[in-house]
Formats: sequence, structure tokens, C-alpha cells
Amino acid sequence: MPREAEPSLNEKQFVLQALKEDVRLDGRDLDQYRPLELTFGDQHGVAEVTLGKTKVLVKTSAEVTVPYPDRPLDGIFTIATELSPMTAPSFEVNRPTETEVLLARLLEKTVRRSGALDTESLCLVAGQKVWSVRVDVHVLSHDGNLTDAACFAVVASLRHFRKPDTSMEGGVLTVYTPAEREPVPLSWLHSPFCISWSFYGDMGEIAVLDATWVEEQVRVGSCTISLNRHGEICQIAKLGGTPVEAVALLQCTSVALAKAKELSGLLDTKLAEDAKRRDKGGLLAELSAENDR
Amino acid sequence: MPLDTSAYSLALLRVDGRRWNELRRVHAQIRTQAAADGSSYLEMGHTKVMCVVTGPSEPGARRGGTTGGAGGGGNNAAEVSVTVVVAGFSSVDRKRRGRGDKRNLELQSTISNALAASLHTHLYPHSTISISLHVLSQDGSLLAALINAATLACVDAGIPMTDYVVACTAGSTSTYAANDEDADPLLDLNHQEEQELPSLTVATLGATDRVAVLVCESRVQASRLEGMLAVGVDGCKQVREILDRVVRDKGRKMVSEGTVERGIGLESMDLD
Repeated sequence: MPREAEPSLNEKQFVLQALKEDVRLDGRDLDQYRPLELTFGDQHGVAEVTLGKTKVLVKTSAEVTVPYPDRPLDGIFTIATELSPMTAPSFEVNRPTETEVLLARLLEKTVRRSGALDTESLCLVAGQKVWSVRVDVHVLSHDGNLTDAACFAVVASLRHFRKPDTSMEGGVLTVYTPAEREPVPLSWLHSPFCISWSFYGDMGEIAVLDATWVEEQVRVGSCTISLNRHGEICQIAKLGGTPVEAVALLQCTSVALAKAKELSGLLDTKLAEDAKRRDKGGLLAELSAENDR
Repeated sequence: MPLDTSAYSLALLRVDGRRWNELRRVHAQIRTQAAADGSSYLEMGHTKVMCVVTGPSEPGARRGGTTGGAGGGGNNAAEVSVTVVVAGFSSVDRKRRGRGDKRNLELQSTISNALAASLHTHLYPHSTISISLHVLSQDGSLLAALINAATLACVDAGIPMTDYVVACTAGSTSTYAANDEDADPLLDLNHQEEQELPSLTVATLGATDRVAVLVCESRVQASRLEGMLAVGVDGCKQVREILDRVVRDKGRKMVSEGTVERGIGLESMDLD
């Protein structure tokens, strides 16, 4: 089993000493994100997020399937996370590492368990036909803070996604192609965002946002908080690590709320831009016989 | 909604008759398995867990998937590896969970990381402390019970640690949607309450306010967090008292039975 290469002792001490003096290697403030970029693909539901050197590609797809027998009225919603050896040599195919399991769980808790997607709206015929929405997360490059980047990309992709329109007439289900009817967006209830803190120092007194890979290697603990812009916490995960003062955690939450609102705003503007780019006047423009001549 | 807790606002009593700040009955034993290095049995209400600690010992052949992997991988510090086995008969519906179950892996990794921060693993380089937890009965606060049991077993195994890592859960009577200001925080939720109300699990280092584990899996207003966290941390202090009493009682009993020698400087210890 390949192990992740650890940073050298000198490197570790350098990063830690710098953090103690409120300096980060890339010159950011302690609570500052790296530049976050979001681009949508040509297809609906493809989103690529770059956060510094971390890069995540997410694709959403949907198909019609049979629901689970114990949940006949709910559609199926899965988030598949894959950390391939392309990301880092320590990741292997088909053998999930701890990082991968924790990332998958965090995304699941943040997006799925918090009820961001209304799964009941995915039901077509009770007990027989439902939409199965699948989100594939591909991590292309890992330079720390996978969680925040992946979560942002998943939410962006799901909100950008359009599923084919359907109709029920006399017990016959029709799924329309995009040419017949404009595809429809998913029924989306709220947008949660993950904000990850890393802690440093003997008592975990230094809290840092958006840690890079090196910073992640030397941290003594971390805490991921998921919030939406309405001020609702969807999930908190501080899974062990050096104990941190409860008051400091509360402070982290309030900063995280501000960051989540920022991210929410960014996503809204990006989606609006993309919608504008795509909007050529809809079906009417396409059917019109007018041309430039 | 599986259950109606709206009666709470009338009598301020919860479904099992407790007040908002009351723990369920905590019953714990240590040194339950004679053959193990350290062992414990813990009940929090109807949640019952057993823990066996082996080690610190030479690392065996690595078994994939079961290790928690905290503590530096066995070079400079002992590795704390945790396995959690949830018995099929532990809950009402008999659900089989495989070894690769993500929830289980997350539990293991959380317990391992939480204990590794308190145990003095640096005293045992190149070794493994393996903690094996068995869930016999589930009625809410599972993670909290597992952490408490693991702490007790580590104390029994005689592994030096900074302080007890103690855990309990806290919840709130408001649902996420309601923004009612008079919602009470609740301490130590049972299964029914956990299903319906927002809840979080807090683990602190001993009686301090320092939080080692904070896990919240439900939607809750951010303004509720402060109250829930305060109640949770306070509950952890109560749990620490209980666990400490268990350890002291057992020690006293062992000294009076002559199983162990009385330590130096403990002449004044009263044996009742």
C-alpha cells in the first residue's frame, strides 16, 4: 500500500513557526480562501471548481429506475466520490482510503441528509419509476481542502443540472428529449456549503481556513462546518484531534456563516452568468425563420 | 414525524420523564474481561457497549480497513486502531452492516483520533493500541457511549493519558425550521429524540471546556448551537464524575481484596 509522502521536518517546522507568527506560506490571511473559480461545462450539470491548486470536477446525471422497496415514493440520490491515483499516488482504485471515506460521508451528510434535494419530487410512478440522480465527484488535483472544493462543486453541479421533462397521460409515462421539451431543473431546497477549519498549536488555539496540503499535514485537528445562507447548520464534524476551546468553535461557526453567505453569493452570480450565456431566446428563437441576411 | 414531542412544552418533561438537563442512568464497569489488557462495559440508558483494549503491543499484520490510522502510523508514536462491531440484535430492525460501511468507518476514525489526542502515544513508538468495541444495544448517543467505554478501557489498560475523554449528546426542542426563541436545549438524547430533534455529540477532555469531538448531523439554526454546546459540555463534566467514581471504586476494591498492592503515597486512601 503506497503511503503519502510526508513533508520534511524542516518544512513542517517552517510552516508551524510561520503560522504562530500569523503568516501563511502563500501570504494569505488566516481566514482567507484561495481564489475560488467555478466553470460550467457545455452540458448541464458539469462543474469544475479550482481552489488554488485543488481541482474538482463534478458531473450530475439522471436516469429512470425502480425505487427501493422500502421507499417507494422517494427518488434515488447518490454521491459517488472517487480519489484516483491521478490525484495523488497514495490513492488507489477500489480501496477507499480514510480521506475518501470521510469526504464521501461529509458530502453525504451536507447535501443529502440536510435535504438539499427534494427526493420526493424525483418520483414518477409510485413504487415503479423514479429518477435516480447520481453525482460523480472526480478529484483532479489535491492541494488541500478537498471538502470545501468538492462540496461547492457538488452544489453548483446539482443546481446547474437539468433533467428531461416528463409527463403522465393515461398511465403512460413519456420522457421528452431536450429537442421536444426544455429540460427542467431539480427541485432544490437550500444550498449548503462546507467550511473547513484547521487547528494548530498545542491547545489548537490557531484556527486557519482553507488549508493547503502542507498545512493539512501539520495540523493538529480540523473542524468542518456546513451551513447555508439562512444561517442553518447542516452538519458539524470535528472528528477527534487536539481538543479546542468550545468558545473558539462558536467563533469559527460565526465566521463560517459569513463565508457560506459569500460562497452562496458567488454561486448565484455564476449561475446567472451561465444562464445568460445559454439563453438564446429558448425554443421560440430556434423556431424563428429570421436570419441575419 | 415518528413521535410527538409537542407534549414537552406542557409539562417540561421529556418522553422518558426526564427534565431537560438530566442524564440517563449511566452504569459502568471496568476490568470485565480477565484476559484482556483493559476492558469495560458501559450503559447509558438502554445503549449498551463493551470495550476490550489490547496493547500497547507490537503491531501485527496490517488488516485493511479496520485501522483508524491515527498517531503517525507507528513510527514515533503508537497507532490507535479501533474496530466497532454493531451486533445485529442491537436495534429494533435487524440491519446488516458490512465491514466497509462508511458510517462505521467514520465512527472508528473519530474514536481513534479523539483518543490519540489524549493518550500519551509518544511513549510507545512502533506499537499498536487496538481498541475493540462491541455495541450490544442501541438507544441513541451511540458515539458518546463508545467514546466513554473506550476511555474506561484505556484507563484499565494502564495507558498514560492526559485526562478522560468523555462524551455525551445534546439536542434542542426546536426543529430547524422553527425560529422559536423559547426552545430548550436537551441533554443526553435517546433514540426517539435523536430521530426527531436536532442533536450533536460533544466529547471534551476531562472537566475542561476543550472539545475533542463535535459531531452534528442534523439541520439546526446556528443560534441554537451555543446553547446546545454549553449543555453538552456541562453534561460531559457530569459524565466525567461518574466515570471517575467507577475507576476509583474499582481501584479501592482491588486494593482491599489484595489483587494489587497499594501504591506509594496512597497510605491515606480510605478503604471503605
